[in-house]
Amino acid sequence: MGLLGESYYFFRRAIKKLVRNPIVLLFSLIQPIIFLFIFTQLFDGFADLPNWEQIAGVSTYLAFAAPGIIMMNAFSSALQSGVTMVDDIQSGFMDKVLVTPVRRSSILLGRMLADAVRIIIQSVILISLALPIGAVASNGIGGVAAVIGIIAFFGLAWAGISHSIGLRTKNQQAVFSAGFLLTFPLMFMSTMLVPNIIMKDWIRDVSQYNPISFAVNAIRSLMILPFSSWEAANWAALEQSVLVIAGIAVLSLGSAILAFKKVVE
Amino acid sequence: MPAIEVEALVKVYPDGTRAVDGISFGIEDGEFFGFLGPNGAGKSTTIKMLTTLLKKTSGKVAVSGHDLDKNPQSIRRAIGVQAQETGVDEDLTGRENLELMGHLYGVSRDQLKPRVEGLLKLVGLEAEADKRAGYYSGGMKKRLDLASSLVHSPRILFLDEPTTGLDPQSRAAIWTYLKDLNRNEKVTIFLTTQYMEEADRLCDRIAIIDQGKIVASGTPSQLKTEIGADVITITMPESELVDHPERREEAMRLLEAVPGVASVTAFESGVSAYVRNGGSVVADVVRALDNAKVNLGSISLSSPSLDDVFLKHTGRRIRPEELKKPGRSMMFGRRRRR
Repeated sequence: MGLLGESYYFFRRAIKKLVRNPIVLLFSLIQPIIFLFIFTQLFDGFADLPNWEQIAGVSTYLAFAAPGIIMMNAFSSALQSGVTMVDDIQSGFMDKVLVTPVRRSSILLGRMLADAVRIIIQSVILISLALPIGAVASNGIGGVAAVIGIIAFFGLAWAGISHSIGLRTKNQQAVFSAGFLLTFPLMFMSTMLVPNIIMKDWIRDVSQYNPISFAVNAIRSLMILPFSSWEAANWAALEQSVLVIAGIAVLSLGSAILAFKKVVE
Repeated sequence: MPAIEVEALVKVYPDGTRAVDGISFGIEDGEFFGFLGPNGAGKSTTIKMLTTLLKKTSGKVAVSGHDLDKNPQSIRRAIGVQAQETGVDEDLTGRENLELMGHLYGVSRDQLKPRVEGLLKLVGLEAEADKRAGYYSGGMKKRLDLASSLVHSPRILFLDEPTTGLDPQSRAAIWTYLKDLNRNEKVTIFLTTQYMEEADRLCDRIAIIDQGKIVASGTPSQLKTEIGADVITITMPESELVDHPERREEAMRLLEAVPGVASVTAFESGVSAYVRNGGSVVADVVRALDNAKVNLGSISLSSPSLDDVFLKHTGRRIRPEELKKPGRSMMFGRRRRR
């Protein structure tokens, strides 16, 4: 049986668990929904800036922020993935799996693919809530599909980091705290919720190298900017952001696989 | 070829605890072998090392002819393991749990279906097969767990305290399955337990383990005859033991002097005397103690049990601790040590 075949069994198990506990999936949507419906109204005045439309590419703050909020959900949701790994360790399920000849990497891969699916479902829900209240999808279904593809890849990459923390600490609280500690600074020092032009210089510098900004900028362009007006620079930026996510995916997978090896000691 | 060979196995945890301290033993093909010892004796640590879950510090291990260091994958294919914590997935049904484990062991699809049916029947879970395992009782989960460790028809089965925390009926049911497996399907079984009765009833041969060392081994009847034909157990009032610990020493001296007494061992609440012919000696024992004005709590005469064997070798009694809902933080890897 190949790696993918084995991963599939773990993927299917994780999806079954997800479907049988839908509350988990919905619960984590509360925060992004609050951001979508309230936070965007709080900062509605941004759009009154003289050259807002030129900076943001859209006329309202909501339309600007919606892609960021969708990405925020993907980020925080991915960073909680490791909790499931801790659950499996604590319930004894992990030991049961580790005494089988199954590849260790398939346990991780199946799990992360399921994390990506969870994040896709959440993103679809958020996009369908955001569009009727003023978010824009200038590139239609194709654009939204590309957005979801990037989000899934992004989620998968960061889920690996969370699993790695889960495997190393074997502690739910540690996974939550680490997720929290990573989420806020990375989120606020990025273009997730505001255009970089209004930031203090040093934050703008940080946000330029912040991996979150790369991902957010990519999906924001995909949603807001019609493909017809894309220039070479836009395509290059998209390519760059995919590469950044791929880099994180390699790091997080590597770190999680190493963590797995240490589990058996 | 022996099913399991262990030589000078040692496990030292990073904090310096020598959980397993140089044990050696061999288990023949088809044998039902038991590790008897109290909590913390090193039973689980040993099982975890033999089943590839925990790295040994030193020593040599071969399971089913495969060297543990060189060929852990072959060992994993050859063995079934039931850990102390039932690792069933509570969101999956009983059947789904078995199928998942079957897939992970690489059982082919056409073999898996009848195998799962057969196992559900074996452990009496046919009626509940399509309910989520979360709704199962503790005994049902243990049975499901046992079934899932058999899904790939292993020739060697490792069971870490398979009945700890179960009610007497469930315990008896598990004993029956295990006996059948060993007798009819010739599965080699390595079992750990803190229950003498379990070791006594099931095992062809047992090793008594305490503080990481094997203190005695043999068939249950060998071990029992080694310590004498009968045991006279004398308990003393607790106040007496606390206020006058020297009285216990005195009682031991007196007992050793009684003709017919082979040896005497102290335990927390009194002393045990091993005698060749209990019936005729018991009166002499009472008289001797009474003359010396030793206060007696109770006195009883019995055939030796494995508990007496344990007491004889370690100076303590095994007091099984019921498995509490395992403390969440004390599981997995190095933090689980029993």
